[in-house]
Amino acid sequence: MPWPLYLALKQLFPTGRRFPFFTFISILGVALGVGLLIVCISVMGGFGREIRNMIVNTQGEVQVRSEGLMQDPRAVMDAIEKVPGVLATTPFAEGVVMLQYQNKPAFPAIQGVDANRVDRVIPLRQFIVAGEYDALDDDRVILSAQLAMTLGARLGSRISVYSPLLLEKLKTDEILIPRELEVCGIFEIGHQQLDSSVVIVTLRTMQELYGLGRAVHGVNVKLGEGIDPDRATADINRALPVDGVAKSWMDANQEFLFVLQLEKNMIFFLLLFIIVVAAFSVASSLLIAVVRKTREIGLLGALGASPGQVAACFCCQGVIIGIVGTAAGLGLGFAVVHFRNDLVAGFTRLTGSQAALERFYQFSQLPAYLSRTDLLLIISSALIVSTLAGLLPAWRAAKLKPVEALRSE
Amino acid sequence: MSNRPPILQARGLHKSYASGARRLQVLRGVELTVLSGESVSIRGESGSGKSTLLNLLSGLDAPDAGELQWEGEATLSAARRGRLIGLVFQSFYLVPELDALDNVLLAARLQGPIGAAERARACDLLGRVGLADRTGHIPGKLSGGERQRVAIARALMNKPPLILADEPTGNLDEGSGEAVIDLLLALCAESGCALVLVTHNAAHANRCARRLFLREGGFHPV
Repeated sequence: MPWPLYLALKQLFPTGRRFPFFTFISILGVALGVGLLIVCISVMGGFGREIRNMIVNTQGEVQVRSEGLMQDPRAVMDAIEKVPGVLATTPFAEGVVMLQYQNKPAFPAIQGVDANRVDRVIPLRQFIVAGEYDALDDDRVILSAQLAMTLGARLGSRISVYSPLLLEKLKTDEILIPRELEVCGIFEIGHQQLDSSVVIVTLRTMQELYGLGRAVHGVNVKLGEGIDPDRATADINRALPVDGVAKSWMDANQEFLFVLQLEKNMIFFLLLFIIVVAAFSVASSLLIAVVRKTREIGLLGALGASPGQVAACFCCQGVIIGIVGTAAGLGLGFAVVHFRNDLVAGFTRLTGSQAALERFYQFSQLPAYLSRTDLLLIISSALIVSTLAGLLPAWRAAKLKPVEALRSE
Repeated sequence: MSNRPPILQARGLHKSYASGARRLQVLRGVELTVLSGESVSIRGESGSGKSTLLNLLSGLDAPDAGELQWEGEATLSAARRGRLIGLVFQSFYLVPELDALDNVLLAARLQGPIGAAERARACDLLGRVGLADRTGHIPGKLSGGERQRVAIARALMNKPPLILADEPTGNLDEGSGEAVIDLLLALCAESGCALVLVTHNAAHANRCARRLFLREGGFHPV
């Protein structure tokens, strides 16, 4: 082992001392900064990933819409399915309706899906928490969990559906007769907004409710594993008949994703200052060590050490603090991330804020995801900042002349 | 003795320091030749320039004028100093975080990677200075005399041909001081290295083969 590294280790972890206070405090500072970065960036990454999954699981990776109605969805789907990388397509129609059950009204979004094709693109079946997805037909409806709870509807309940088309009938003084649908299933995606205000019916039911004829509003597209959505979207756009524009889930949610990324970057930037402050504390402690060890530095010079080697000794101390602090911070951060839901549950139990958490943050569980890039960014930032912290003390130590250092009191 | 090659040659060394507005001339043309294996003592009053001279002889400081040669070469890099000169200081200067063995090995580490041979030599040296059972003790757990013995072992670690000792007994009681001088002279004689001993103590100085007295910037007969 090169002696500057050896001596740096010995000075940080002296022989016969189990608890070197300066070393412990310095490492703790870096560890806290890295740990906080891991936790915050993981949770922000988790939110991003949940949102991505939610969008892809409810819309597919690519959504094709036309300016008005898509009159011939079959032709559009045939064209899209010829594009390399496309696994499946499914048409949809969407809108807003009024529901009524036992005099309780609600105004949810309604999705009309092709029951025979939809689960090739959107894994609706996995979100069903009560009833049967396969029972969905033109006289039945699947409700989102919180909406069913709000209405008090259960499996087998018959709910009245009023579509905007009925308003047209009011103009000609016709009697409003709502469509009666039986609840055959209840789904829960884990996203508060979708779980509280969406109903799913067959495409035919939706076409009847909105008077669409055979037209649809768009087509959802599923891509193969590892296919780049942007490239596939461009290919689909080239293959589309004249009316229709494909947008990847990223394009469709560009502004939202930008805000999410901006928030993540800001959090990274702000929390990095914790490491910077810790690094100042390391630099300050090492500078004090240089003053305290002036005669030892002189001795090293007298015994044959070059100024560069003396500098390397102090620089190594910054690097070692950075490495050990980063490792400890990773352990701390991943431990907190692992037990995040228990910690949040404990906190919300104490403050009675479980419902508020779900309402404001949309997720019932705190998500976490740390990409390899984010992890490398955190590790390299911590190591670079800690190394920089050792440079100033190292420079001061290297500047000392052995003969003057040995004479110092 | 005169057939031995010179290990250190100093010619016309001058050194002065700024003292307020004027310069204080400490050394005025010092001439000194130390032969291989020779022991030389330098005595002098406080402020006579003994430590200044030793700093010049060890290459830690540069003279204002004059010439120095170590084994016939006028240049002395830090690494060469580590190989050529063993230094013993009045204040020991042990690294407090290292135990006795590692303090001795430090001199070897600075020269390159160490192995079993270096460890064995360090243990042997500590045994010779009577600290075989204290190798794992940090300096804080050793007495002044024991610390100085560790420093002597460190000075001898790289088998240097020259030992420069600056008042090695200055911080020790009389008994410990005697023991340290005995040890230093014996080990230097045994290993064949030259010794330049700077001391206040006339009895210690008299034990060296050649005795010099530094006064008014130059050597005078004792």
